[in-house]
Amino acid sequence: EFCSSLAGIMLLEVFLVLGTVIIYFLFSKKKEETLPFKDGWWGKGQKPDTKEDTTIRPFKVETTEEELSDLFRRLDQARFTEPLENSCFHYGINSVYHRKVVSYWKKQFNWKKQVEVLNKYPHFKTEIQGIDVHFVQVKPPRLPEGQSAKPLLMVHGWPGSFYEFYKIIPLLTDPASHGLSDEHVFEVICPSIPGYGFSEAPHKKDFNSVSAASVFYELMLRLGFNEFYAQGGDWGWLICSNLAQMAPNHVKGLHLNLASVTKVGFTHLLSILLGRYFPGLFGFQEEDVRRMFPFLKKGLYRILSESGYAHIQATKPDTVGCGLNDSPVGLAAYILEKFSSWTDLEFQNLEDGGLERKFNLDDLLTNIMIYWVSGCIISSMRFYKENLQKGIGTQKHEKLTVQVPTGIASFPNEIMHTPQAWAQKKYTNIVSFHFMPRGGHFAALEEPELLAKDILQFVGKVEKEQLWKKR
Amino acid sequence: NTILCFLRSFEYSQKNAVLVPVAALGVGGMLVYWLRSRHKIKTIEMGDGWWGSGERLLKGREDESIRPFKIETSDKEIEDLHRRLDQARYTPHVEGAAFHYGFNSSYLKKVVSYWRNQFDWHKQVEILNKYPHFHTTIEGIDIHFIHVKPPYVPHGQAVQPLLMVHGWPGSFYEFYKIIPLLTEPAKHGLNEGDVVFEVICPSIPGYGFSEAPHQQGFDSVATARIFHKLMNRLGFKEYYLQGGDWGSRVTTNMAQMLPQSVKGLHLNVVFVGKRGLGRLISIILGAYVPWLVGLSREDARLIYPFMQKSVYDVLRESGYLHIQATKPDTAGCGLNDSPVGLAAYILEKFSTWTDKSFLHKDDGGLESKYSLDELLTNVMIYWVTSSIVSSMRYYKENFSKDPNLSAYNRFAVHVPTGIAAFPQEILHTPRIWAKDVYKNIITYSYMPRGGHFAAFEEPKLLAQDIMQFVRKVEQL
Repeated sequence: EFCSSLAGIMLLEVFLVLGTVIIYFLFSKKKEETLPFKDGWWGKGQKPDTKEDTTIRPFKVETTEEELSDLFRRLDQARFTEPLENSCFHYGINSVYHRKVVSYWKKQFNWKKQVEVLNKYPHFKTEIQGIDVHFVQVKPPRLPEGQSAKPLLMVHGWPGSFYEFYKIIPLLTDPASHGLSDEHVFEVICPSIPGYGFSEAPHKKDFNSVSAASVFYELMLRLGFNEFYAQGGDWGWLICSNLAQMAPNHVKGLHLNLASVTKVGFTHLLSILLGRYFPGLFGFQEEDVRRMFPFLKKGLYRILSESGYAHIQATKPDTVGCGLNDSPVGLAAYILEKFSSWTDLEFQNLEDGGLERKFNLDDLLTNIMIYWVSGCIISSMRFYKENLQKGIGTQKHEKLTVQVPTGIASFPNEIMHTPQAWAQKKYTNIVSFHFMPRGGHFAALEEPELLAKDILQFVGKVEKEQLWKKR
Repeated sequence: NTILCFLRSFEYSQKNAVLVPVAALGVGGMLVYWLRSRHKIKTIEMGDGWWGSGERLLKGREDESIRPFKIETSDKEIEDLHRRLDQARYTPHVEGAAFHYGFNSSYLKKVVSYWRNQFDWHKQVEILNKYPHFHTTIEGIDIHFIHVKPPYVPHGQAVQPLLMVHGWPGSFYEFYKIIPLLTEPAKHGLNEGDVVFEVICPSIPGYGFSEAPHQQGFDSVATARIFHKLMNRLGFKEYYLQGGDWGSRVTTNMAQMLPQSVKGLHLNVVFVGKRGLGRLISIILGAYVPWLVGLSREDARLIYPFMQKSVYDVLRESGYLHIQATKPDTAGCGLNDSPVGLAAYILEKFSTWTDKSFLHKDDGGLESKYSLDELLTNVMIYWVTSSIVSSMRYYKENFSKDPNLSAYNRFAVHVPTGIAAFPQEILHTPRIWAKDVYKNIITYSYMPRGGHFAAFEEPKLLAQDIMQFVRKVEQL
């Protein structure tokens, strides 16, 4: 009897193991599934029967005297609230410093000149899925012998815009003139996410990152690109990842300066609890440990103290954005606070939020003006609701992996650090993962050269690998 | 040794054999009682504070005068408001949004149009001034309050002093409809009229006409202390307290700080105390056997399904709390500059916190329970005093610290407590959970209707509950 029960147990174990293996294969097959293209109609009212206008129309950013005088009138009538004594940036933006920014905005910032700066690259608009999509397309001024420009789609985030890429574009389209290797030269396309800047806002509900990825996929195809690279941070990270999941045959390589993990499982929890003591066990490098621990302070508390904006934008975007679309001073405060904290959290201890240490006011205000003149702050916030309202970790694309070659540039002052050990669960083909020596969330604007170099070396690796595969 | 000898010497005496254990029990019992009673009367330390700008002037006593105050407005103020309303920039909402994305911009345009063309601020200021207002300086800042005495008191009747504290985004104005029911109950058909109140409604520092603190750290405990000082300065030694929203927390702190001054505490909002494994288990069990964990049928109806009502709904409604508790100066900046933005932000709460189903309405159901005049008057209080940023800082000051260390959860409340549970309140707290903190609940009533802004929305129901609570306490 004992022997038979032992045999029974062994048989059960065999079945369990077989079962697990079968389930694992089933699941792993599922994970390699591509994300379906999300078609949609985002225009007003009903979709018309006529075929969509697919022309690509050149576009120029313009301003008027009326727009400027309206802005100045609002800046003049701004009502500020005195900060608490010695509070620096701990309660949010410090109004004493903010007054100085507003004063600069009124007296020295030259919007007409900045519009000319914006127009130095060619802008276009084209209608996709019912809405006008704006983008900047910059071709290389010269190409080395025998080389073709590699198309690179760069997607911004919130509260950024296509303008964040203005410093890095020349490094990618004309690397030789900037002291970088010209082994790879790019043709850069920077669209505005629908609802941001000069892209029309969706009129219907449910426009999320997969919708944006679908729109940009159509854009790249319309521009005649069959294969292209994609680069992104903030929302750009998610949209480009979705694009890679949707069209792995078209996306040659995916480069990210942010790689969040939204599906947290038991192993993540375990690695948080024990990773500090047994880093090797969880695949953590020394730099990972330095950036992540103590976890409560650097992970949980930091996220809680910095995510209030995401919480309210994911639930009541039309409410929170209302005053910001009516008060340029309020809009500037809201956006500038992010450029301070997300560049370096230590800046909260400074009376001026450290803003002018890494950025100049002209660039910061130009980005804000894009939100102001297009009146897009509310629609930009709705993107949070459309992506987050069902909860984090619940959506289909969060469960699928990304198999295209991926390069990750990990900047030290990003709000939360994602170690390679975690990233590779989702990005199964990480070709390069580098710890950047300095820089924060707005990498392209703050450290364009560092980011450009990382993109270039990543593309180099991908191209080599492709060549090797062909042989 | 001496005790043992002492005891042994009693071995042969039966009478003593009975006396000794009894005496031991008596002494032991007294010891236990003394220890427990010492534990019982643990209160929040009163401490002191200074909230004025700069250093506190050590020389000379603070000016303790109580100065009458009248709310005023000017043409300039109204013109400035009108100009801003005229230049408002709106964003069209997505199709079918109702109030799911926040305040509906189509309806907002209608509200602003009324505000611009029909709302009469001069008239509203007169209404605000119908009760006597005062200012007095406490701990370096000017505290505003209204003080309403009953116009007629029958001979020999006791008048109960009642301090009523508002919350966010409310103000002292929320009490304007309930005050006459409390100072002249008989006139408004509210029972026997044996309970009559003298009502004091202060503005929390940083709200409305109370000066905002200039120093960091101004939380509900500091507010409690200042309000005790206020009542003391007005000559009251014992008084009743009533509160909802922040008012609930402030009045609870007051009861925890100086229980001997608090005759009774009435709340229309109770913030849950203990969290933990035990609570979690009772929540899970309560879905199936509510009676086993002390939940009534009404409790179960209001709490379950738990994930939906207590987790998702709360997450959906607490974005404002999250941003205000972390970045108040940023969140409030635009609202202090755009009256339309301010109105959208505040009125959204008056919609959703009155009735959750209002989310599905294009007009947020606002005018089904309130008039635009009263809603806008409350918004105007925030606008003309520029107090939105300081009102938001209160969240950071109260939530920054570890919740387990906050006074609120560490001290019990032993004063007689009355709780009015309104059905549309965002989070329902059953009596059994309230007992974690409130050890002496005299009344607990399930109100038939009403939401978060009880005094504003259902003044009669609330007044009746306050009076029946006070009646019971007076009989004790």
